[in-house]
Amino acid sequence: MKKKEIKFYLALIAPALLVLFLFIGAPIVQSFIKSLHTIITGLPQLKAPFVGLANYKDLLNDPVAVHSLRLTVVFVATTTFFELLIGLLLALLIHHRFYGRSALRACVLVPWAIPTVVAAQMWRFLFNDTYGMINYFIFGADSASYIPWLAQPGTALFAIIFADIWKTSSFAALLILAGLQVIPQELYQAAEVDGAGVMSRFRHITWPLIRPALLVALLFRTIDAFRVFDLAFVMTHGGPADATNVLQLYGYKKMFVEGMMGYGSAVSVSIFVIVLILAVLYVRMVGRRMLEARA
Amino acid sequence: MKKAVIITTLSMLVSAVFIPCRPYPLNAQEPDTIVFLTWKPNQPEVWEKLIKEFHHDNPDLRVKVQVGPHSSTEYHAIVTQRLKNRDDSLDLFFMDVTWPPEFANAGWALDLTAWFSEREQQKFLPGPVAANSYEGGIYGVPCYLAAGLFYYRKDLLDKHEFRPPSTWDEMLFQGKRILEAEADPLLNIYSGQFKQYEGLVCDMMEFIWSNNGGVFDTGSGGVIINRAESVKAVTFVRDHIIGNAAPRGAISYEEPESLDLFIQGKSVFHRNWPYAWEVANNPEKSKIAGKVGVGRLPSFEGHESASTLGGWQFGINRWSRHHEKAWRFIKHMTSFKSQKILAVEASLAPARKAVYLDRELRAKRPNLTAFLPAFERARPRPLSPVYPMISQELQRFFSRAVSDKGSEIPQLADTAAKRIKKIRDLAESIRK
Amino acid sequence: MNSKPARMMILLPAIFMASAFSLIPFLLFVSCAFKNPSDVAAVPPEWFPSFYLGSFHSAVTRYDIFHYLANSFIVSGATTLITISLGCLAGYCLARIPRRPGQVILMVILACAMFPQIAIAGPIWSFLRSAGWLNTYQGLIIPYVALTLPLAVWILALFFKQLPEELEDAALVDGCTRAGAFVRVVLPLSAPGLFTAAILTFIYAWNEFFLALLIMTDPAGQTMPVGIALFQGEFTVPWGEIAAASLITTAPLVVLVLLFQRRIVSGLSAGAVKG
Repeated sequence: MKKKEIKFYLALIAPALLVLFLFIGAPIVQSFIKSLHTIITGLPQLKAPFVGLANYKDLLNDPVAVHSLRLTVVFVATTTFFELLIGLLLALLIHHRFYGRSALRACVLVPWAIPTVVAAQMWRFLFNDTYGMINYFIFGADSASYIPWLAQPGTALFAIIFADIWKTSSFAALLILAGLQVIPQELYQAAEVDGAGVMSRFRHITWPLIRPALLVALLFRTIDAFRVFDLAFVMTHGGPADATNVLQLYGYKKMFVEGMMGYGSAVSVSIFVIVLILAVLYVRMVGRRMLEARA
Repeated sequence: MKKAVIITTLSMLVSAVFIPCRPYPLNAQEPDTIVFLTWKPNQPEVWEKLIKEFHHDNPDLRVKVQVGPHSSTEYHAIVTQRLKNRDDSLDLFFMDVTWPPEFANAGWALDLTAWFSEREQQKFLPGPVAANSYEGGIYGVPCYLAAGLFYYRKDLLDKHEFRPPSTWDEMLFQGKRILEAEADPLLNIYSGQFKQYEGLVCDMMEFIWSNNGGVFDTGSGGVIINRAESVKAVTFVRDHIIGNAAPRGAISYEEPESLDLFIQGKSVFHRNWPYAWEVANNPEKSKIAGKVGVGRLPSFEGHESASTLGGWQFGINRWSRHHEKAWRFIKHMTSFKSQKILAVEASLAPARKAVYLDRELRAKRPNLTAFLPAFERARPRPLSPVYPMISQELQRFFSRAVSDKGSEIPQLADTAAKRIKKIRDLAESIRK
Repeated sequence: MNSKPARMMILLPAIFMASAFSLIPFLLFVSCAFKNPSDVAAVPPEWFPSFYLGSFHSAVTRYDIFHYLANSFIVSGATTLITISLGCLAGYCLARIPRRPGQVILMVILACAMFPQIAIAGPIWSFLRSAGWLNTYQGLIIPYVALTLPLAVWILALFFKQLPEELEDAALVDGCTRAGAFVRVVLPLSAPGLFTAAILTFIYAWNEFFLALLIMTDPAGQTMPVGIALFQGEFTVPWGEIAAASLITTAPLVVLVLLFQRRIVSGLSAGAVKG
């Protein structure tokens, strides 16, 4: 590339990178550094000694942390899978031309438009064991059958997963819909003329062409799912008995409640590393061709 | 058309660059402003009135109020974030009753001994004053306090000619009788807070203390959470309260859910803070208005009833540059006059003893005067700069113990005791 | 399955299920806004025990919901404009430079989206404090731009990449500058991607709570999620007012999105489909 071109492209990307490095890059480095010390804000007399990787060793030996990791993985796998699936179905549906399509699009946007904290309060209300509308919806007035959703480990995790799927399927739907909208209609028309059926059209035209959008949805949903916090904090506070104590909630409690900044930073860095490895895997396996120019 | 789009986009871009940089006058700080970071109060009008009076009496000062969430955890996060960064733009804040040792040891709260003398301290209830004391200094001034109270359906108890129960077993017995007679399948005996949060510790400590158990032994200071008395109380809750006297869902209740159960008429007995009295007797919100009685929490046979101390205290930021001015505000807010206004108009239990003798208070808020014995007896949770870490261990222990019918409580208690001892030893190590 | 009736047979129940799934929980909750305070937590619950507008009145007057709404619009709007602008530039760059460096930069940008917000919040707060930007609009907008850039850049980069370079080259040959080619050829064809990135950015900024809570402690600048979270007093959760506020704040957002979708997407992509 010519020097002038390099300068040109550099100018294009510099502002974005500057903002990112200042506000995200620097905090990441700071967290890394903090995670190598023992910092307890309530005990400044400890003088925050450098402890190397001791926090990470403690994390691996901490049964609560390991349990949190397991819970979070279950959460991520389940929500990402269903959100992508439901998102795909919704996108395909909205993409069709039919009367009232805009209204459906508006409906689908509603869950995503509600702030997560409000949605979390909403689900805390809906999943209540005596006056919750979910119980009423399923069982009617038969109060004896009502399930105490947030009071049992299994159903509490289910409640959080369900709330997240409800809220975020629209995210995947929007992304995939955008991907659908740039597929030229001529491809479908040509395929129809050639006698291809719906499934065949989907497999050979739609699916390959929305893979980039799917990859973006998969990547970003996984990243966000690993950092789930509001739902667990508001609905169950991590209980009962740590059954919904997802990683970032555990990190929050360590950092902001107990004041263990070093250990909490180690939790954050661990989340970061895990997600990074996953993302690299995704891109390697699924998206290698995405980032090349279209043939 | 395309030109129009281009021009619109460009002008949006340009304005986008300039709008955010317009200095929004939120940070204007006049020289004599003191910044008070508080939470959203239940009756903002009362607090505004008190602040207005302060402005009137102190025309040279202005109080600027910043609002955080009322959730103790979240408010703690915001306040500590600023204090640990030595933020001098904050002068005054509130502290929950368990925070003063932490704030004192970390050097965040100013030692108020110079202004809040021993003689002054005597004018306040001893429990909250003790909670604000640490290593010989006093780091906060109590504003209002709370204690766990026992609410019950007076009408149902009268119907069966029961007196309010004095032991937990008696409560279960009365409850069973009432349930049988009422034949309402949705009625429960008891309602309390058992979600895995700080409220769980408050509720459980009341059970444990009322069996002469505890976390630390008052004499020796040793860890006694795994002693037989404590374990028995926890086992009692698991076996007879959760899923029995109280619905299984109580494990997901904070104060609002548990109170809702009571005021919808679906619980005979209820444990909550003093605020619940107003709500339960408010016909707009409650279906049992006028049918509510309140008294001491029951205890185990042969032991004393216990209730957990709660409430909020004022603190001054050590890094603030307006110590003396901040103190003037505290002095005003904790004066007899202000305390009485808080009590009469906002129904917040004052920390100043004299207010309870006031005739107007006794007439308008007889409930507060009736609560005084409970307030005087209320017990603080362990006072330690590392209380948050201890609390997390307790929450974990209690939640595991009561939410699983097959839990091995002695084992869980031993684990909790070991971890709590480690935390306490860590805190002790800094004294050397 | 190309016949109309067969398609309808699949479409109609699908449409019904999709809208039911999205709307029913929300409607169940919003019905609280219309109930008397004592019926909100009625045991057993009922759908429509009463019709009561006090919660709306209270949400607007006592809880000042429109003030928070205004702040949210300002912050989210500015964030979206800046993010999309910077994102377009960066996305175009990444779509046109050679593969290797492009991939590396994309992964670095992605990595910036991975770090837990709780850990980033503290350092950002310190940085804003030293800049004197706490409790200011820009103190919230710039971090939001940083938080929404990764997704915007990825979406835009992939959309720009999908367009064959010949189209731009043709425009350049016709006498356009590179910038002109970008605006006249690339943008219209990527309209769906642009719109999606804008919507997702706007809603992310609209929903963000953690940073807003920490940075805006002065009520004058607080946004809607913080405002609604502050509805809660000590031990009280005013379900009715929260439900009313949810309705008041969601409806205009949905209407706004619909309006923009019609205008921008159809307008820009009108001439684009020819390819």
